[in-house]
Amino acid sequence: MLALSRVGLSSSRSLTTSFFKPVLIRGIKTIPQPPGHIVGTVNDAYIAPKPSKTHGSYHWTSERFVSVGLVPLVLTPLFTGTSTLLDSSLSALLLYHVYAGFQSCIIDYIPKRVYGSIHNYAMWLLTFGTGVAGYGLYEIETKEGGIASVISKVWKA
Amino acid sequence: MFRNLLRSNSFAPVVRSSARTLATEASVPARLKTFQIYRWSPDTPEIEPKMQSYEVDLNKCGPMVLDAILKIKNEQDSTLTFRRSCREGICGSCAMNIGGTNTLACLCRIDTDTNKDLKIYPLPHMFIVRDLVPDLTHFYKQYKSIQPYLQRETHPADGRENLQSIEDRAKLDGLYECILCACCSTSCPSYWWNQQEYLGPAVLMQAYRWLIDSRDEAGKLRREMLQNSMSLYRCHTIMNCSRTCPKGLNPGKAIAEIKKQLAFD
Amino acid sequence: MARLSGLQKEVLRLYRHSLRCVRTKPEEFRSHWKAYVKEEFARYDHIQKKQFSVVEHLIRTGHRKLEMYSNPNIKNIH
Repeated sequence: MLALSRVGLSSSRSLTTSFFKPVLIRGIKTIPQPPGHIVGTVNDAYIAPKPSKTHGSYHWTSERFVSVGLVPLVLTPLFTGTSTLLDSSLSALLLYHVYAGFQSCIIDYIPKRVYGSIHNYAMWLLTFGTGVAGYGLYEIETKEGGIASVISKVWKA
Repeated sequence: MFRNLLRSNSFAPVVRSSARTLATEASVPARLKTFQIYRWSPDTPEIEPKMQSYEVDLNKCGPMVLDAILKIKNEQDSTLTFRRSCREGICGSCAMNIGGTNTLACLCRIDTDTNKDLKIYPLPHMFIVRDLVPDLTHFYKQYKSIQPYLQRETHPADGRENLQSIEDRAKLDGLYECILCACCSTSCPSYWWNQQEYLGPAVLMQAYRWLIDSRDEAGKLRREMLQNSMSLYRCHTIMNCSRTCPKGLNPGKAIAEIKKQLAFD
Repeated sequence: MARLSGLQKEVLRLYRHSLRCVRTKPEEFRSHWKAYVKEEFARYDHIQKKQFSVVEHLIRTGHRKLEMYSNPNIKNIH
């Protein structure tokens, strides 16, 4: 085991810059977890995070509304033509839908309890990406005539 | 008497069981099935866990996996460790991962195809105490956190029982049968990644059982406890819980019902 | 002294907690307790620092034992 890690160490030194070295050798720094997940004594009840409806039910409800709302918005342009209002609401809901999906992934796989600030960076990155995507959608709406027309152009091309 | 008879007229392997085994067994060819069982001992923690194979003659063994591992423990390897109690699916002790599915060993039939090995692991993604025994401390701590008992401010006028209508009682069917074997929780990928904060299907189903109990008056507090992104909403309706439940319950539906209740809260 | 890894710090933390716990025990039995703590830790001297899962398991069980033995009703150990 020891020898193996030595090999990994020497190869990484030749391959990477000094910027990545600490990450590759020592790994990403994670917050140590309580042994056996046990906080307090074994007989204490587990303590739930603070209640917050925005993170709880409101978030969930908005997610459901958006996903249900997306169904007609995706289907209508296929049968009837599209309009700017329809198209922009489709792109806005789609953006939120994708944002919520990625957010969920981050909470699942980069939990704050283990990764601390890396979780926050991931969230920032997501927000930034969403912002960029939102700007892109805005450009498409104003200059290309909406995502429905872009897709139909690609489809016919 | 029987045993003497057996021993005198056959060269069958010596059976260390009572006269209960039938006299015909000498004539039937042995159906040897291999069981691969996860072994790890805390006495020698530096030795990696390994799979150990045992051969069991299905003709001399009961139909369930628990019968087989009890037979192994009795006759081949007394160091094999597992939890068991009722052997009829009511205590939830013998929950383990059998052939890739979390289930109760006492309710799981042995696949009689002797060509295939049967692999038995402890419940996945739990800390292991020894062999097939997982550490369920955190699971029980989570169960405790939902306060699984009747909470009331008012008491019945006659000072005796908290009565409930038949319809209200019927709502608890499919929920109260849960034996907390942890099969569903440990089959849930979300619980694997975030078991420290996500309560998991078994506990959430019990939370729902107390939420809809007509006699309980702490619903507001119970709902508030789940109002965060981790405790309840890490459920992504993967539905492994409902698929694996050895009692045929549906934790996935119970969680969906809680989400509905919280949405209208 | 070499920089300690997180896991090594955890072990030291457990050791320190255990020795502190000894001081809560009755005076006449403290030597027993101390000997017991040292013996328990010395038992796993041979574990390499890179055997992470082993060390984590030992820390886990160690905390469990510490919690059990720190019960004030337990006075002595042999």
